Amino acid sequence: MFSVLIDQFWSLTIAGVALGFIYVLVSLGYTMVYGVLRMINFANSEIFMWGTFGTIVTSRDIFGYTQTSAPATGGKLALVLISQLLMSMAVAGVTAIFVEYVAYRRLRAKGTNRLATLISAIGISIVLSELMRLLTDSRPVGSPRVLEKIILTEVWGANIRLDTVVTIFAAALIYFLLERFVKLSRMGKAIRAVSMNEDAAKLMGVNLNRVITTTFLVGGLATGAAGFFYITVFEYTKFNIGFTMGMAAFTAAVLGGIGNIRGAFFGGLFLGLLEVYASAVLGTQWKAVTVFIVLVLVLLFKPNGLFGEAVQTTRA
Amino acid sequence: MAKIGKTLLKLDNVTMKFGGVTALNGVNLEVKEGEILALIGPNGAGKTTVFNVITGVYKQTSGIVNFDGISLGNQKRYQVTALGVARTFQNIRLWGDMTALENVITATDVHKKSGLVGALFGLPRARREEAENRERAMEILRFIGIDEYSDRLAKNLPYGVQRRLEIARALGTSPKLVLLDEPAAGFNPAEKVELAATIKKVRDAGYTVLLIEHDMSLIMGISDRVVVLDFGTKIADDIPSVVQNDPRVIEAYLGVPADAS
Amino acid sequence: MKIRNYWNLRDFGASIWENAGRPMRVAIVLISILLVGLLPFMGGSFLATPIASFDAVLVYPVGMFVLMSLGLNIVVGKSGMLDLGYVAFFAIGAYTMAILGTTTKLNTWEIMPIGIAFAMIAGVLLGIPTLRLRGDYLAIVTLGFGEIVRLVVLNSTWSKGPNGIANIPMPPHFGPLKFELENQRLFFWVVMAMILLTIWMIRRLTVRRPGRAWEAIRQDEDAAELMGVHTLKYKIWSFTLGAAVGGAAGVLYASKNLYIAPEMFTLNVSILILACVVFGGIGNIWGVIIGATILGYLPDRIRFISDARLLVFGLVLVIVMNFRPDGLLPRKKREKAIVKKGANA
Ligand SMILES: Nc1ncnc2c1ncn2[C@@H]1O[C@H](COP(=O)(O)OP(=O)(O)OP(=O)(O)O)[C@@H](O)[C@H]1O
Ligand SMILES: [Mg+2]
Repeated sequence: MFSVLIDQFWSLTIAGVALGFIYVLVSLGYTMVYGVLRMINFANSEIFMWGTFGTIVTSRDIFGYTQTSAPATGGKLALVLISQLLMSMAVAGVTAIFVEYVAYRRLRAKGTNRLATLISAIGISIVLSELMRLLTDSRPVGSPRVLEKIILTEVWGANIRLDTVVTIFAAALIYFLLERFVKLSRMGKAIRAVSMNEDAAKLMGVNLNRVITTTFLVGGLATGAAGFFYITVFEYTKFNIGFTMGMAAFTAAVLGGIGNIRGAFFGGLFLGLLEVYASAVLGTQWKAVTVFIVLVLVLLFKPNGLFGEAVQTTRA
Repeated sequence: MAKIGKTLLKLDNVTMKFGGVTALNGVNLEVKEGEILALIGPNGAGKTTVFNVITGVYKQTSGIVNFDGISLGNQKRYQVTALGVARTFQNIRLWGDMTALENVITATDVHKKSGLVGALFGLPRARREEAENRERAMEILRFIGIDEYSDRLAKNLPYGVQRRLEIARALGTSPKLVLLDEPAAGFNPAEKVELAATIKKVRDAGYTVLLIEHDMSLIMGISDRVVVLDFGTKIADDIPSVVQNDPRVIEAYLGVPADAS
Repeated sequence: MKIRNYWNLRDFGASIWENAGRPMRVAIVLISILLVGLLPFMGGSFLATPIASFDAVLVYPVGMFVLMSLGLNIVVGKSGMLDLGYVAFFAIGAYTMAILGTTTKLNTWEIMPIGIAFAMIAGVLLGIPTLRLRGDYLAIVTLGFGEIVRLVVLNSTWSKGPNGIANIPMPPHFGPLKFELENQRLFFWVVMAMILLTIWMIRRLTVRRPGRAWEAIRQDEDAAELMGVHTLKYKIWSFTLGAAVGGAAGVLYASKNLYIAPEMFTLNVSILILACVVFGGIGNIWGVIIGATILGYLPDRIRFISDARLLVFGLVLVIVMNFRPDGLLPRKKREKAIVKKGANA
């Protein structure tokens, strides 16, 4: 059982880091929205799923790649990949704003209870996934290979493939840029002000609606980028992939301390590695179960996560 | 008038920090059985925080809270209530979709034994306790003088009645000590006089009262002792007439040294 | 009584009920039960369903949806906790029936309490770590749990994996009344009996201490705990009772379907049931019953909806929450003490 883990430790580790970075970006979608709204963005998983379709539509329908065409090279390769990334981010960003507008905004304005908002959010996520199911006839959709999976080099018996390298470096860069944005930009500061103290931020003249929309947008962009990397690595999507991704990324966010951007980084990497190792030992069919057990254990023993705010805060 | 007896509640060197903010700084406080103790201080002095620490909403950073011989440090919130401490909230927190009577009955449940099984099968004890609760709750509403509103939903009650219902609900838990957080907030002078009488009546019925209030005349009229907090520190603890003339208290309230004015 | 009340279905119904004496009430209840019990004989009328036979539709989805919605309503409606994994308890009940029914000599009625017990145990185990946390966490953990139960069943040998379990026995006959597939009247009456039992249970509990505790928790949990309500205990009870109803529905479902497989227990079931609760009116038993009846029946009557059923239900959730959060029949808001009625209930 464990021999697989030991034999392939380094290649598993590389795969785990790549998967981990995908989780990092999706958990940003959860963490950022949670930070300002103190509410889980239930539709984030479907925002991700829509992003993956954006990626495939770009290469397949805009650039005309098919399952049999040769992978791109040189300038064309860069053009296609960047278009795919931007498209995925755009689709996800627009979907995220749509979600906020349809499922959250009205209820927030009315000041209804959390339960209503939660139900509304779960409703919109069902709508998004069902819409895609009907559009794709419940079928999986394969992605034409744009980036050839060349083996660049071998380290400690592990093959270092181009797609993994691209994913790791590009995802890390995007994470870094987002973190800088939240840290340094005016809007980023407003977002952080709202997460720390909504009332005080309002008194300081922060436009709450704009902050919230921006947060959804930024979270959506991160999640959309993850959709692109997911397709680059796995080359396949389906209307229902959001669920597993959402569970894992949410678990990563909670593990790192939900609401905390740096937490999402560590939580995502940890979970990516854990999932890859666990699949090697137990078999891939148990990976969702492993993730779930981690979630319950974290909630049971460390509900604030590693870096996070208190989940149980109450005021009186 | 009730006799003042032994110490019921004792805060020993209690400090409460929120991140960088020190809301309470080594506060010592004693409440004696049968007294009305007023807790005053400027906005943000830490008065509500005292209540929150006593009732277990927050766990103090350091120090000991002792109630009736039991340390409250490890008690859950509902256990603190069961031991005999009840409170009202500065910003009213009634259960709006329940009637006034139901609000009080729910509080009376705390000392009852019957649970789910009894309720489901209508066991004799459950039936008896339901009847007792209803009667007791009605009695409390009458005692506070709002029984005519018993069947109205809490959220539809006039503001003043809601404030009184908060007191009634706290009494529903049959406490030894009642913590009232600005029960007269938003009242006009006539209503304040009426409320002062009610608080006195509550004390005379055998409850001990710890009262947060801003209105000096109300406090001077009814309290046996006054404790003053300023920036989380206790700056005075004496009978009303002494506290009223204490230069530090005047300074805390006016923001200038007393002799400079 | 104001004239306006005639236009308000809930208050209208309630005022009739309150003005009725005891014999009148008994009569209303008996006649209603009789009328509903006669429904399976209406198959030839305008109610007929095009694909499945009418009495089958009455059992599943309609009857089962009503039953499960009532169970979920204890959790969502009474105590305000969002349980998105309700299907898990349904699945646990169904698999208990399937496995015990095919490997032991126990019959459906003997397995029923075992299935309920398993569902309740699962409820407690899941409730303890999650019910202490804020509501969103419960929602997402239960969402995961529903899927995990399906995955475990799908990937285990004891459950026969994706093949599912066939040849599950039907319930034994009641004297001359035999359960049969062609004619599901008897199943319908059993579901009806279970629904009545659930209604009885909910009404008993809501007029007494547990109902008040749940109501207080739903409206302001912190205030509830500070007024001495053992919130965790009552939340676990609510969660577990909901699970029990789901488990019972599962046992009956397996024994009616005779075959079960993991694909019958997807997240979709949880969402359908939630939509029934929300559509009818969160927290109002009669609203929930009407909601579940409509949402259970319509897709079988109108084919178009049946393809896009889940899309429609998702839309129902969003639209109802945004525009009519109380659903068809709002929860009781009349100025009448729940407790007073409890006195003679
Ligand atoms: N949960 C909390 N997190 C952070 N700071 C808090 C919290 N609760 C209270 N504080 C801070 O502690 C200090 C004391 O607050 P508290 O509410 O006890 O004041 P107060 O005396 O009741 O004032 P008021 O008269 O306005 O009611 C304030 O500076 C407040 O901002
Ligand atoms: Mg205060």
